[in-house]
Amino acid sequence: MITVVLNTQVVLLAAVLLAACLAKLMVRHPAGAAPEHVHGVPMPAGLGRATALRQSRPVNVGLGLAEGILGVSLLVTSHISVRVATTVTFAVATWAVGELRVHRPDAGCGCFGGLSTKRVGRRSVVRTMLFTAAAIASLWAPHAGADVLFSGQAQVALVLALELALFAALSPELSVLRERHCLLRHKPPDPCERRASPLAETYATLYDSAEWLRYEESVSSAAPLDIWREGCWRFLVFPARADERDVEIVFAVSTAARDRTVRAAISPPTTPTPTPAIETTPDPTPVEAQTPVAGRT
Amino acid sequence: MPLARQGARRRSQQEAVLGAPSIRRTAPADASRAPLGPVAGTILDASPHLLVLHTADGEVRLPMTEATTVWHGGRGGPGSLRPGRDVVVRPAADGLRADRVWVDISRVAGVILACGRDTVEVDMGPHRGRAHVVIPPHALGRILVRHPRMEPGYLIDTICVRSPDGPRAVRPGTSQPGYRADDLASPEPGTPVPDPIRGTATWFGGIVGQQSHTRGDGSHTNVVRGWRRSLAGAYATIGAAYPAVDSEGNAGGCPDAPSGCVALPYLSVGSVLSVRNECTGRTAAVPITECGCAAALYCDRCVECGTSPRGRVVELTPAAFVSLGGDLDGGCFNVVVRPTGADR
Repeated sequence: MITVVLNTQVVLLAAVLLAACLAKLMVRHPAGAAPEHVHGVPMPAGLGRATALRQSRPVNVGLGLAEGILGVSLLVTSHISVRVATTVTFAVATWAVGELRVHRPDAGCGCFGGLSTKRVGRRSVVRTMLFTAAAIASLWAPHAGADVLFSGQAQVALVLALELALFAALSPELSVLRERHCLLRHKPPDPCERRASPLAETYATLYDSAEWLRYEESVSSAAPLDIWREGCWRFLVFPARADERDVEIVFAVSTAARDRTVRAAISPPTTPTPTPAIETTPDPTPVEAQTPVAGRT
Repeated sequence: MPLARQGARRRSQQEAVLGAPSIRRTAPADASRAPLGPVAGTILDASPHLLVLHTADGEVRLPMTEATTVWHGGRGGPGSLRPGRDVVVRPAADGLRADRVWVDISRVAGVILACGRDTVEVDMGPHRGRAHVVIPPHALGRILVRHPRMEPGYLIDTICVRSPDGPRAVRPGTSQPGYRADDLASPEPGTPVPDPIRGTATWFGGIVGQQSHTRGDGSHTNVVRGWRRSLAGAYATIGAAYPAVDSEGNAGGCPDAPSGCVALPYLSVGSVLSVRNECTGRTAAVPITECGCAAALYCDRCVECGTSPRGRVVELTPAAFVSLGGDLDGGCFNVVVRPTGADR
């Protein structure tokens, strides 16, 4: 039974190291997660440098790759040097998390990259201590992780499940992961009036629309006379000829992220009324001379 | 095409395709809420009881009384009203006399480029150029109280008076934001636009910035324009610089404008804003006349009448600011802004 428990530690440590590797490579630290000023007072230089180093992307990628190599090595070999390296890594991590809890708890431990942004608490310290204990126990495990996994022992699966449940209970990262998942699934689209809609997208929407097909033959120049934006709409004015007279066709193209609509109207090249200095009355517009039509792409 | 004609044409074409907007540019029923009719011009003659101005509409005579106050780098008397100077005049509520007169007032707001012993070089934005502000010793203390970080990269905002040496700082326009200009915290892209938009209104103008020109050999030179050039026309224009002018097509926005610290809808030069001064209750429809990329840098508040939410949502021309009852030397007022263009 003791051998089973010792062997299971190798699998557990490999799983944890590979998970940390994936998290560090895939989840970036959110910008401004660890403010350098508290109530306008700058953090001490040493602490500031330490957190800046930890938030650096190259440092995170390097750490993640090292953890990945260690995790894979635990799975494929039972060499003592790998076990010792793992033990030293977790011992150093325990010291670092303890220091962070005392000096910069607000910065998060960074153990699982951008997922470890929650305040460093007692749970994080206990977790790394338990991993260090597991790493020490693994020094006496006879088999490599892959051999243990493929042996298919029910006792290994039971112990591993218990340890993973304890790991989950001690991990604040799970709630962050759940929040991120919910945010990604239920993220509202950018409001159309604030969305930076590139002109190329507007042209693509316009040329695919039924309104453009309807007026394409009438348009006398491919270059619009005017392009401007008003909230959720970008307007394009093209010169055109209809019923043997010069007209202008105004297209309004939605700037929404999806389901963009296009509307169009024929407008005679009227003499515009000037803007009053301080406007006091609505603009009289010869609307009856214009033909609004609407459509969806 | 002139800006006013272009704006009117665009509005009529918008209404043709989308129908009339729900927010109409109607006159307030209450006269106390209506915009004042400011007068801006160049002084032709002045006496203690009469001010004669040359304006774009011809000669204008404005009665003055003992209640009329004159600003020329501080409280000035009739002696400040010398021929050739540019003024902005706010009429009294009854419209029969001049209430306040600002002489040669200007404002420099932007990013500090360099600081000398008593001068500051300020970048007012790509379309406004640079300004070389002189800070005299008697104004330095007042400026430093509200601008403690006089370092390159930080923002500055000063009310100035025009002088042969360039704009001379008189007092701070607002308090300096505590962050560097390139460290602005903008709202997330998904943040909805508040309705109505509340924030701070300031004013701009009274200065012609130095524009950097490139010679044929690639070297740069700064062209300084004459300080005595009349700016009465710019004072008199009714318009606004808006921080979120679209940069695509002919909308008129600056290509690299910061996204600002308020979630604002994209609009264009020529779009019309309904602007209400929350301190006086006066409302006016003001067309957007330029990109407000400098205003977008300021995440500050106005405390003219209560504390406004953060962010300069609009920068007005002197005439527009005064028409809404603002004091040019005060610098700001709390404002409610609504775009009056196309509905969603």
